[in-house]
Amino acid sequence: MAKSDGGIHILQGLLVFGNVVIGMCGIALTAECIFFVSDPSGLYPLLEATENDDIYAAAWIGIFVGFALFALSILGIIGVIKSNRTLLLVYIILMLITYAFEMASCITAATHRDFLTPNLFMKQMLEMYMKSETDNNNDKWMTEGVTKTWDKLMLRNQCCGVQGPSDWQEYTSAFRATHSDADFPWPHNCCVMDARGSPVNLDGCKLGVPGYYNSNGCYDAISGPMNTHAWSVAWFGFAILCWTFCVLLGTMFYWSKIEY
Amino acid sequence: TYTPTLASPTLGGQITASTFVLEQPRCVFGEEHSDAVIWLVVAVPEAVPKFNNSVEPGSPERTFQNFPATAPAYLTLNTTLLGYPCPKPPGDITVLRVGAETSCAGDKTRPTCNGPLPGPGPYRVKFLALRDTEPVGETAWSDPITLRRARPPGSVPTTGSGRSAGMIALTSILSILFAVLLASLVALLFFWGSDTHIGSSTFSKPEPVSVRRYNTHHVYDQPAARL
Repeated sequence: MAKSDGGIHILQGLLVFGNVVIGMCGIALTAECIFFVSDPSGLYPLLEATENDDIYAAAWIGIFVGFALFALSILGIIGVIKSNRTLLLVYIILMLITYAFEMASCITAATHRDFLTPNLFMKQMLEMYMKSETDNNNDKWMTEGVTKTWDKLMLRNQCCGVQGPSDWQEYTSAFRATHSDADFPWPHNCCVMDARGSPVNLDGCKLGVPGYYNSNGCYDAISGPMNTHAWSVAWFGFAILCWTFCVLLGTMFYWSKIEY
Repeated sequence: TYTPTLASPTLGGQITASTFVLEQPRCVFGEEHSDAVIWLVVAVPEAVPKFNNSVEPGSPERTFQNFPATAPAYLTLNTTLLGYPCPKPPGDITVLRVGAETSCAGDKTRPTCNGPLPGPGPYRVKFLALRDTEPVGETAWSDPITLRRARPPGSVPTTGSGRSAGMIALTSILSILFAVLLASLVALLFFWGSDTHIGSSTFSKPEPVSVRRYNTHHVYDQPAARL
């Protein structure tokens, strides 16, 4: 089939359009990943303490990939319009490298999201919240991070423990080692607080009277932001990669049609 | 006769590792006990059959700090009948938290301390009315109350939750796409290498609208030769 000028122009137009979309998506990916890396929900110390913070690594990769996509899309537009074989070959190879990095980011975000289960956070909370003897500086840093994050979480979301206050009763914990069961069946941050930040009725809280303590668990408040983070990075990246796949195939086809 | 019962299970702290919550004995002791002191007796189940009501509260056999080693029972939470007014106002939570006082738990000068229970039990309780150490009224013994036993945090099962379907789909689709791209690139370079001579890498067209020279292998019509 003869390649008429019209056909080539249509292909050129499509490739330019495809690269424009890639450029815009690259900027969007960078912005989204910067948003997640900035940790708006304040949950990073929990992940840091699990030593499994790869959904953040995935977001970091996403920032640089997004920027690379934007730059390469400009290169691609220039290459297509000028029909330059060298430029287009450079574009294709660099795009494939970027593709590989973005693939790593998506798969990392999706895989590591699956590791973040309620039991993981419960075990971490029991072992680290208010731990008094720390082994070394790193342990101290992570313990302080976990303690501050849980205190903030329980106050802000009016929740207690991972599944509920019974977590503190069913298991011994580092908290229990320094706070007696009779005075602190659960941390005082689980109590309903008044405007000044002290419990409305401490005895009611210790008794477990509904209305004076928070009987719901914090897992929803943790998993919500983390799911959003991981799935956004993974699926938006996946969408970009599917589109990029089509554009790259088209570019390779266009490249093969340039002859000198 | 009245049997002491645990408070409603809607209370989250009904039973903890060292405390438990009882219903107050409202409308159990009548006006004849208005000048008596009503005590709560906490005992190990073995002490129940031969329990002697006349032993004075706070004596060495009834000291909280010696419980349960040398004192098989102790008395605590003493109050007069005014502490348990009858009838009970509906909607009020009338409970006694056994084990709430931590400040006197080690203080032997406070032998009737309502201190935290030393182990998971079981324990049996009853209420005893004493007028000048003479027993004038009592309730039945409760059923054995066993406290919570907490497990160590290492027993939390943290085996992986397995792979979610979304992650498997994402990984496989992306891998296939990447493989196709790599294969296309290899085919492209192979096609390029074998087809045209590796020569001019400089681009030559002056005008942006590209003029194509048709590859003679793929000509079906004979276009006008252009240069």
